[in-house]
Amino acid sequence: MKLHTPQPETTEVESSQATPPRRFVSRRNGLLTVVGLSLLLAGCGDRHLSTMDPESPIAEKLDNFLVWLLLAAGVIFVLVQGAILYMAKQFRVKAPEDESQVYPDEEFPEQIHGNTRLEIGWTILPTVIMAVIAFFTLGLLFELDDVSANEDRQIQEVVVVGQQWWWEFQYHLDDDGIPDIVTANELVLPVGEEIRLRVTSRDVIHSFWIPTLNGKRDAVPGRYSPWTIEAGNAGRFPGECTEFCGFSHAYMEKFAVGLPLDEWQEWAATQQRDAVLPTEGTAEFAGWEVFNNQCASCHVINGLTSHYEDGSIDDFALYSNVGVGDDLADVLNQPPVRYIDKQTQVAGAAPNLTHLQSRSTFAGGIFELYKNPDAERYIDLASEGTLNRGALEAWIVNAPEQKANAWDSPSGQRGMTPFTALSAEDVDNLVEFLTNLEYEGAE
Amino acid sequence: MAITEDRPLALEAGAVTKVAARPLGALTRPQSDVGWASWFTTVDHKKIGIMYGVGSLFFFLFGGVEALMIRIQLAAPDGQFLSESLYNQVFTMHGVTMVFLVIMPMAAAFANYLLPLQVGARDVAFPRLNAFSFWCWLAGAIFLNTSWFLGGAPAGGWFAYAPNTSVTFAPGSGMDFYAIGLQIVGIASLVSAINLIVTVLNMRAPGMSLLKMPVLTWMLLVTQFLLLFAVPVITIALFLLTFDRSFGANFFNVEQGGSPLLWQHLFWIFGHPEVYILILPAFGIISEVIPTFSRKPIFGYPFMVGSGIAIGFMGWGVWAHHMFVSGVGEISVAAFSLSTMFIAVPTGVKILNWLATMWGGRLRFNTPMLFACGVIAMFTIGGLSGVTHAVAPSDTQQTDTYYIVAHFHYVIFGGSLLGMFSGFYFWWPKVFGYKLSEKWGKINFWLMLIGFNMTFGPMHVLGLQGMARRHQSYAKEDGFGFWNGIVSAGAFVIAFGTLAFLINIWLSARSAKRNPVEVGPDPWDARSLEWSTASPTPVHNFDVEPTVEFQDDWWHRKWGENEEGKIVRKAYPADIAQDGSATDVHLPSPSYWPLVLSLSLPVIGYSVIYTFWLMIPAGALFLAGFLGWALEPADDPEAAHGHADHGHDDDHDADASADAADEGASVG
Repeated sequence: MKLHTPQPETTEVESSQATPPRRFVSRRNGLLTVVGLSLLLAGCGDRHLSTMDPESPIAEKLDNFLVWLLLAAGVIFVLVQGAILYMAKQFRVKAPEDESQVYPDEEFPEQIHGNTRLEIGWTILPTVIMAVIAFFTLGLLFELDDVSANEDRQIQEVVVVGQQWWWEFQYHLDDDGIPDIVTANELVLPVGEEIRLRVTSRDVIHSFWIPTLNGKRDAVPGRYSPWTIEAGNAGRFPGECTEFCGFSHAYMEKFAVGLPLDEWQEWAATQQRDAVLPTEGTAEFAGWEVFNNQCASCHVINGLTSHYEDGSIDDFALYSNVGVGDDLADVLNQPPVRYIDKQTQVAGAAPNLTHLQSRSTFAGGIFELYKNPDAERYIDLASEGTLNRGALEAWIVNAPEQKANAWDSPSGQRGMTPFTALSAEDVDNLVEFLTNLEYEGAE
Repeated sequence: MAITEDRPLALEAGAVTKVAARPLGALTRPQSDVGWASWFTTVDHKKIGIMYGVGSLFFFLFGGVEALMIRIQLAAPDGQFLSESLYNQVFTMHGVTMVFLVIMPMAAAFANYLLPLQVGARDVAFPRLNAFSFWCWLAGAIFLNTSWFLGGAPAGGWFAYAPNTSVTFAPGSGMDFYAIGLQIVGIASLVSAINLIVTVLNMRAPGMSLLKMPVLTWMLLVTQFLLLFAVPVITIALFLLTFDRSFGANFFNVEQGGSPLLWQHLFWIFGHPEVYILILPAFGIISEVIPTFSRKPIFGYPFMVGSGIAIGFMGWGVWAHHMFVSGVGEISVAAFSLSTMFIAVPTGVKILNWLATMWGGRLRFNTPMLFACGVIAMFTIGGLSGVTHAVAPSDTQQTDTYYIVAHFHYVIFGGSLLGMFSGFYFWWPKVFGYKLSEKWGKINFWLMLIGFNMTFGPMHVLGLQGMARRHQSYAKEDGFGFWNGIVSAGAFVIAFGTLAFLINIWLSARSAKRNPVEVGPDPWDARSLEWSTASPTPVHNFDVEPTVEFQDDWWHRKWGENEEGKIVRKAYPADIAQDGSATDVHLPSPSYWPLVLSLSLPVIGYSVIYTFWLMIPAGALFLAGFLGWALEPADDPEAAHGHADHGHDDDHDADASADAADEGASVG
């Protein structure tokens, strides 16, 4: 199989995100600065991936703990290396010139075979050091594990679903067990609220990680692993997949987006609205027809396409089940009795595209959807953003060329199929449709 | 049968002819122990050790090239050198190669060559099994690497996490090569472990109690026990994987109720002891080198041995620290976090004892000593970073980033590999009869040490900056470019260091040939029994079975205390060492069958992957090897047998022990 790396156009797109929005200066880590390591260690990238640049209380605790550990380790490091260097200087004798087979009958150093008290001492010493570290470790471990039960939290929990090679976020705003918002690659959070996550996967193991907010948690198929996340500040915080998951492991990004509470509520209200059919005769309507013919077998648009009836979330439906050829087609060609609208928004194989235009990225978070991703407010992107049209169209036409995937794998489709047969007009219309969708109940 | 070689002969020349009926021609045993063909049939632990060494160095170059390919790809943002598919294959095979085809066989090289010598034996307990281990390893290694030409190498990482290794997600046959190849290599390790354990426990020279064994022997013994218990675990895991992939089983198939975490548990129950399997031999090596070049005994021998055993035991209780983010539950995480921290204690004791051994000594910084000090310095760094991810919450930020890559390279390269190099320089004169050049040795050491720190030091920073492992490329905006550039440059410095080693071998061998210098039995004034016999080691190891009185017995034969308690010379090595001149020592005969039997295993492998028809030749080879092994005579009837009338006084003893060895071989 021929694999391609992103084309130059892609690179240009990526570089347009050079300065992500940083409305709040992160709390500088005092200790690091004191130690003078910050210049050396602090992430020098623009992308804000560094664990040493925390943006949440949790990440800050982790970072502080590490600094103490590194200081302790530094002391031992200096002592051991110092001892070696000192001895090399102090006790060194020159090797015999001729490297003869027998050493000269020289003075021997004192032949010390050991010192039991000393050795017991330096068995106990590291034990004590370790016990101290262990004490604080357990404290931190259980402290982080203890998620405060905040009664008026906005989000009950978010189910995080990894799959090759993108992330789905299913928001449960209430307790009914049916996701209220389903989005992809961007986990939008109200600032300052500790959100409970359950992390799982639909195929292989992935790992959910936003380095500036918290450590990582593996997404293991068949398991729901609890995790928490909190955006301490507003801003967009990237994270990469950190469990090796195949071809595009390096191209599977997600973002946590921290929004002030009022903006988040506005965002959440919008996300829950279903789409309405475009007016017939418009480019958007032509785009809808293309979508319905070509895309709707994998992608969901709430209000327009069909879904599972019973509201179940097929969380670890492996793609081998929904694979090429018969399976998926059969499923979707079943009598409509089994599939009615709007029960659930989870597609199972591809991102829900209802609110694509509200996101700042697409294709597993690796391309910016807008040329000005640092627009004033995240929630205004859809209305004010300048669409990164070329990149989006290139992706639709030939996704495998943009991002290595296994769409033609003999054992099941993974990743987006190329649609090279689409005419330029079809693609244009499709983009119009996707980026100008209107929603029920919108003013 | 006239054998001429400047080495002492194992078999008496000319004492043939009087044997009556030969058994079936095919079942006679090969006779020659010189010439290229003898390497294929040898059961001599020294030749097998040398072959392990050569094989592991070859694969070291192979794995090194793979490392360089990775570093070229990552030298700058948006690397275009390797496609995603190829990148995944290369990093997978880099890991598999370096662990299973480099460090493990390199340790096996030292174990094979040195264990019998250090305990004063003529060979290992089961010489033919020993040959079988080596051929198995080589067969597995070659089998694994044929995957490059048969549709692609394994691409699921050396850790091969399910379900990414299932047929669904890894449809090629790469992972089959992984599962079956490692299975074959595992057989080699397991067989060799049993062999060496029996050797150490049963074949020690008279007087050598367990607590008089050299520290290297101890560490190798602990390593063999770790292998004995760890290899079966990976064997089971690999069988489950093969069953899933080839026979439609569902051990790791989530849809059918299988568990991906089952694989992780099995893999790491093997995988963590494996880390100690890799590092303990190096600990043993430098525990020989440091006292020798400090001119002091090892400090706290009982603590050194005890901490090695403690590491061996504790190594079984820490595996889930590889799974802190897998979702194994907070109690498990807490427990494994604690157990992992406390394994730092015996390791710390070792480091302090090495330092105490050097303290106040008369230190000679010959190349072996330089590498040994490199091990202490670099392993300490690896150990300290290890503590930072024993802290489970901290590890959630570090795992699967370059911080971990830095950590385990400080342990495995900075610990194991530098230790092995120390051993190469130390025992080279014993094995080949000439020293490696000190000048090139120092170039080798400094290039490697500097390159190593350039390569793996900055990875700590990259990891904390958020650079994830196993990513085929990174973007310019990630800000990883600067340090990755340094890392890649460092990788090439290591490559030059390796080149210096090869140049050293070539130049030293050439100058030894043109201008032979007698190195003598004991060029470093060392301490253990292998230095009490000629260099290169005669084929029968010892003319006289040594009798041991002290720990470091050989040293005590050279040096003693006068009335004032000062160390004075008792004897010169050349005067008391055995000269290898015994000519009538009965040794186990070579055999064809270990090679034949081991060749059947990769054919079975291809059969599982491609077509079961291949089971016919595989089965034929297997049966031939098996039956030939069982039915061949214990000795070649035409070969000379001992009891020549001009022998030494100790003929009987020498013969008895060699006979015991050979009987062992027949049973095995």
